[in-house]
Amino acid sequence: MTGTVNHDPRLAVEIAGIHFNNPVIGASGTFGYGLEFAELIDLNRIGGFSTKGLSSRPLAGTPPPRIVETHGGMLNAIGLQNIGARAFVEEKLPLLERYDTRIIANVFGYSDEDYIEAITILNDGAGIDAYELNISCPNVKEGGIVIGNSPAAAARLTERARRASTRPLIVKLSPNVTDIAQLARAIVGAGADSLSLINTLVGMSIDIYTRRSRLNYGTGGLSGPAIRPIAVRMVHEVACAVDVPLIGIGGIASVMDALEFIIAGATAIQIGTANYYDPRVTVKVVDGLSEYLDRTDSPNIGSLTGSIIKDQP
Amino acid sequence: MIETVATVESNLEITPGYRLLTLNFDEEVEARAGQFAMLRARASFEPLLRRALAVYRVAGKRQLSFLYQILGRGTEQLSFVERGGEVEALVPLGNSWPVEMPERSSVEASRRAIVVAGGIGSASVLMLCEELARARIDTQIFFGAASGRVASGCGLEDFRALGLPLTITTDDGSLGERGFVTAPLERHLRDEVSKKSLRGADSTIYACGPWPMMARVNEIAARFDARCLVSLEAPMGCGFGVCVGCVVAVKTDGPLGYASYRRVCTDGTIFSADTIRWEVNAMSH
Repeated sequence: MTGTVNHDPRLAVEIAGIHFNNPVIGASGTFGYGLEFAELIDLNRIGGFSTKGLSSRPLAGTPPPRIVETHGGMLNAIGLQNIGARAFVEEKLPLLERYDTRIIANVFGYSDEDYIEAITILNDGAGIDAYELNISCPNVKEGGIVIGNSPAAAARLTERARRASTRPLIVKLSPNVTDIAQLARAIVGAGADSLSLINTLVGMSIDIYTRRSRLNYGTGGLSGPAIRPIAVRMVHEVACAVDVPLIGIGGIASVMDALEFIIAGATAIQIGTANYYDPRVTVKVVDGLSEYLDRTDSPNIGSLTGSIIKDQP
Repeated sequence: MIETVATVESNLEITPGYRLLTLNFDEEVEARAGQFAMLRARASFEPLLRRALAVYRVAGKRQLSFLYQILGRGTEQLSFVERGGEVEALVPLGNSWPVEMPERSSVEASRRAIVVAGGIGSASVLMLCEELARARIDTQIFFGAASGRVASGCGLEDFRALGLPLTITTDDGSLGERGFVTAPLERHLRDEVSKKSLRGADSTIYACGPWPMMARVNEIAARFDARCLVSLEAPMGCGFGVCVGCVVAVKTDGPLGYASYRRVCTDGTIFSADTIRWEVNAMSH
């Protein structure tokens, strides 16, 4: 679907110099390469989307079972199966050219060099608006420590990625840390233009009859409405700690959910798991935001960012 | 593929634990044999994900039926939806059973089909059987279930009504032959092949049922050189290819690597059985 869309100008936002028609973005890992949604929604109507995580080379992912549903959410251990940065540039980007929506290339690797290599390939791609670094991966060169769980490792990677990148850099924060504000400060200090948060929380589910994990990989990332209050709290903490624009993520399934993140301090939001069971949720949230502005006499969505009133003791 | 809210025409219990859900759609839906839908009771908060159910029957252009077994929270939630209630639906999804056998001899008599249904896997093959009958393809049905009661719940009466040769097995022997459905399938192929005029290669086997049943059907098909197609099941997050959660391991030349996994939802659900790595289970059974 293409065509002229009448965007509500009150919903436009800017992140690191990039204009988004509205603050609603499809989250990485739940939005494929965008094209999968073209039959379900008008891609021109959403602010943008973040691609499935792209690595320097194609990856097979982990053996099944890869997903398990939990209360109010799901665990996944997909193992970052993806077509690779080169195939994205050559096969997917040309098909995305016709859409007026921002394309964020989500990038990951298993060492700093992996990330840089993927970014270097993607720098060739026309039509990518920004990069989003997924730093919740184990670093094989450092005994498998998760880069995003160490402010020092995350800052070092951010600095190197910043230098390699020809585009604005968003870093996606892992929530599996003791102090997310400290992590955020380190990453912004290293040159990130924006932060998106949160990635999934590490979780586990056990089949009591086989006494095995329900996921082949053992643990998985918890997503869905169950994690939303944690995500809202973290966005609020990070908003108080840094000055770059934030993209809120975590269990958003309705316009009310999206507004919580915006009021907590997010400039834009990403919708993830809800796309699975409500494939048109992104467009519904866009419409809902306009209605909310009407109802509350707010001049624009930007006026709500970080508008939380803190008069509780 | 349409994403819509369907209205419940009926949601009938066939036998305890097995139900037939009939939905009316505002738009026209063209569902072919073997395709499926992602369904969830509207505005139910739990469980979150829609459930993948095979299209059992089509009535006109705006009505679909789904035969299902109550297996967990999602199907239980669906079982509560009453006539007039609403169900969120994404349909039709997945590929469909190929009925044409162009590479076979054009002589009608040598085009033979064998349909193997195990348990609620039957839901995926009723329309296939109807289509095979319409195409005048010589069709044998092998229908296995845990018991006679379960066989009824899995639509046995609808299969009987087709008037095609039907062999029934039950695990407990309460109906038909006692044991697994693969035993009479194997005997049938052996008998066919012993008639000099026929080769296993003249038959196409269509199978849908529990993973171990399909793995065994694949072995039998390979032994008799029969073409074998299976419709696989896997827990699905989305049903339209983006979550990559429902993958199955497929054969490639080397060890598990890139291109080793295919999505059951969009690359299947129907696969050629000899391409599947049966030793790598798609889900815990």
